[in-house]
Amino acid sequence: MNKSHLRYLLVFLAALIVQSTVVKYLEIVHWRPDLLLIILVMYAVQYGRKLGSTAGFLVGVSSDLISGGLLGLGALSKTITGFIAGGVSRLFQERSQFIFTLFLGGLIHDLIYFYINTLGKEVAWRVIWFVHIIPNLFYTAIVGMVIYYFAGRWLKADD
Amino acid sequence: MRFTRYLAFLNKPYLLLLGYIFLSVVLMNFSDTASLRGVRWALLQILNVVDSFKTEFAYRKNLEAENERLKKENFYLHITNQRMREMVLENARLRELLNLKSEHSYEFIAARVIAESAEKGINSRLLNVGEQDGVKENMAVVNAEGLVGKIIGVSAHQSIVQVLTDLNCRVGARLEKSREKGIVGWGGDPWLDLEYIPKNIRVEPGELVITSGLSEIYPEGLKIGVVTDFSETDYDMFMSVRLKPAVNFNALEEVFVIKTEIPEKITLE
Repeated sequence: MNKSHLRYLLVFLAALIVQSTVVKYLEIVHWRPDLLLIILVMYAVQYGRKLGSTAGFLVGVSSDLISGGLLGLGALSKTITGFIAGGVSRLFQERSQFIFTLFLGGLIHDLIYFYINTLGKEVAWRVIWFVHIIPNLFYTAIVGMVIYYFAGRWLKADD
Repeated sequence: MRFTRYLAFLNKPYLLLLGYIFLSVVLMNFSDTASLRGVRWALLQILNVVDSFKTEFAYRKNLEAENERLKKENFYLHITNQRMREMVLENARLRELLNLKSEHSYEFIAARVIAESAEKGINSRLLNVGEQDGVKENMAVVNAEGLVGKIIGVSAHQSIVQVLTDLNCRVGARLEKSREKGIVGWGGDPWLDLEYIPKNIRVEPGELVITSGLSEIYPEGLKIGVVTDFSETDYDMFMSVRLKPAVNFNALEEVFVIKTEIPEKITLE
C-alpha cells in the first residue's frame, strides 16, 4: 500500500466520523454536504473503476453500519458510484475532471439510494429531486471543490 | 496456481462490480442479524468517543449562560408545577368520582442525542442510553414537544432512534377532535402526511394529531403534529392531510425514552 492509499484510508475514516457528528453544523435549510461521496469520487478519479468500486463498497458498508439503516443500501449505491466515477472521469478534461465526475457520481448515487429506499412507498419524486437531490448535489460540489483545492494534491501524492 | 485463477475476476472491473453488487444485495437480506449488530455497535463506540470530546467542550462553553437560563426556567417551572399539582389533585378527585383509573404512568429514561445518520433518507439519531439503562427496541421516544420516534437498535450503552421524518417510519394516529384514525408518515416533504382519513370527516387546520394507542409501540395521546392543510380529489376515498410536526427534528438534543413492556416480536397475525 503506497502512502496515497494510506492517506485516503485515514481521510475516509475521518470523513465517516465527521459526517455523523459535525456535518450537522454545516446544515443549510436541511441540505448537507456528503463528505464520503467527495472523497470516494476523488479516489475513483485517481485510481479508476476497480479500486473505485472497492472503496465505494467498503465506505458504503461502514456508512450503513453507523447509520442504522438498511445494511447494503449505501454499499450498493457507493459501489456503483465509485465504479462509474472511475470510468467516466477520463472523458473530462483534467482541469474540470473532478467537479464533473462529482456531479455525475453524486447524481447516480442519490438516484440509486432514494429509488431503493423508497421502493413500494408513495413518495413525491418532484420533491425528492428539487428539495433533496439537486440542492444537496450543489452543496456537496461546493464543499468538494474546497476540499479538492486544499487537500487534492496532498492526497494524490505517491511519495 | 489454481487458487489464483479463481481470483482472476478481481482484475476484471465489470465482474468485480457484479461481485460487490451481489454482496450488497446479500447484506440487505442479512441486515438485522446478531453478528452484524455486533460490528455495528463496535463502530458506534468510535462515534461515542468523538462525541464525548465535542460535547464536553460545548458544555463547558455554554455552562454559565445555561445556568442563568435554567435559574429563570426553574422559577417559571416552580410556579407552573404548583398549578399543575393542584390540577392533578383536582383531576384525581374527578377521576375517582367517575370511577376511572389513571391509564398512563410511564417511566422515562432521559437521553442525549450524540450523533445523526450519515445517510440521506435514513433519519435516525444515536442516543447515549442503551440496554444497561433499560432501553429496548420498539420503545417510543419523546421530548417536551411531542413524539420523536421509536428505538430501532440497542447496544449496551447506546441506542438508535428512528425519527418520524424517516421514509420507513409509520405511526398510528388519531385526529384529536373527530377521533378518526389514520397513519402518519413522511414522503420527503417538509411536512408529515396523515393518510387514510375518509373524505366525510371534518378536519380543521390547527387541529392536533396524536398517537392512536392502537399499536404496542406508541402509547396513546402523544402529540405528533398540527394539521396545516388538507385536500381531496374526486377519485380518491381519502383526503390528503398535511401536518406540521410537533417536534423540531433539526434541533433534537435531549429526549426521553418511554419505558414500556414491549413484546419481543410484533406480528400482524
